[in-house]
Amino acid sequence: MDFSLTPEQAAMREQMVRFARERLSPGAAARDREHRFDKDLWRECGVMGLLGMPVDESWGGSGCDALTCAVVLDGLGLGCADGGLVFSVCAHLLSCVVPIARFGTEAQKSLYLPGLCDGTQVGVHAMSEPDSGSDAFAMRTGATRVAEGWRLTGTKMFISNGPVADVVIVFAMTDRTKGFHGGVTAFLVTRGTLGFTQGPAIEKMGLRSAPLGELVFEDVLVPDSAVLGGVGGGAGVFTHAMDWERTCLFASQVGQAERLLKLGIQYARTRQQFGQAIGKFQGVSHRLADLKVEIEAARLLVYQAAWRLDHTRNASLDAAMAKLATSETLLRTALGVVQVFGGYGYMVDYEVERGLRDAVGSTIYSGTSEMQRNIIARWIGL
Amino acid sequence: MTEATDGIEAAVKEYILAEFLPGTRPTELTASTPLVTGGVLDSLATVQLVGFLENRFQIEIAPHEASIDNLDSLTLIADLIRGKQAR
Repeated sequence: MDFSLTPEQAAMREQMVRFARERLSPGAAARDREHRFDKDLWRECGVMGLLGMPVDESWGGSGCDALTCAVVLDGLGLGCADGGLVFSVCAHLLSCVVPIARFGTEAQKSLYLPGLCDGTQVGVHAMSEPDSGSDAFAMRTGATRVAEGWRLTGTKMFISNGPVADVVIVFAMTDRTKGFHGGVTAFLVTRGTLGFTQGPAIEKMGLRSAPLGELVFEDVLVPDSAVLGGVGGGAGVFTHAMDWERTCLFASQVGQAERLLKLGIQYARTRQQFGQAIGKFQGVSHRLADLKVEIEAARLLVYQAAWRLDHTRNASLDAAMAKLATSETLLRTALGVVQVFGGYGYMVDYEVERGLRDAVGSTIYSGTSEMQRNIIARWIGL
Repeated sequence: MTEATDGIEAAVKEYILAEFLPGTRPTELTASTPLVTGGVLDSLATVQLVGFLENRFQIEIAPHEASIDNLDSLTLIADLIRGKQAR
């Protein structure tokens, strides 16, 4: 088994680390403080090719396989001090762009993919509702057949990139008697559609430069051509998006964890107490050594899951394991690095507290840790 | 090869018994036992089953095909598989 990156993957990762450090990281603290999404940086990500990596080149993407996407997003996380921007990029790419590329008709791909890939448009995936989070398919949003196509009514909540969305994949019940098994349909809705309202960004603990909010659909009329993946195919579209998100978004979180660890190591090598660098004390060095092991283990799970996305029909178990391991490792790393920094770690100016605030969301979004454990338990026969 | 001899129902039945009905006597799972409406296949089980069917029979099941209409019994599942293999 060859664990090395191809020369192309290594070069792309290095290029992404450099781009993220030089172009995306400056101003991260201000954007966090101001809860501000930066559209100019978004456009730069598009020009860089980040926003459409796995999409075929004919639609404006780079045609990368899942593993290469994971490697590049790992580099994005490693280089970028703005966790919110990393999150927004990944949510757009993995839960909106990927499903359109995979399940879209030629007309849908032609209409949406170029703008989503070049950074002129922001894509969104709307599943969660005020009363249905983990229990996703208990949604209330419904779509009724009408002469012109479909009428959508409902409210979606905690929608990443929602306030700035241009293209939305919204999931609605089209046949409640079938439930998960053919009763959910994914629809493509665009900004400005009559009856579609985007709420303002909601203030959050972390990922503050990634806008998140409510989307309201009040008798929104869409044609049949807005159906993504066939009527009743919503569960399959959602599952595919989640497999990619739980794999590749968490590739970026592996990079974020490594970035935080490096900050902790750097601090431990220079901070002096009791006549020596604090990294010489096993209480500190062992903590950082353990985190290194966890991060590398999470990286292997993520890369394996990405490889399986390319080589098997179903990578749901691998995606769940990668997500669970990485998110909990990221949170432990962020908390551990704050601890290593001591009092300074608690101060905003040293920025590691932002890493911790950003990390807390990782065990919640893309399916909570509890849901991942449910999924894994089912796959292993329990 | 006839429907009785192509082994599709038997393979699917064996998988469902092993994965979702441990301890169940094989005779209790018939060709018409309701799998979705009968509570054997919930959402996670359906994802698992679809993955198995695609790998085992080298077919692709589109999202809208993973529905009650095609998965609610061994007979329906076998019909889905045969239909795809015939193309």
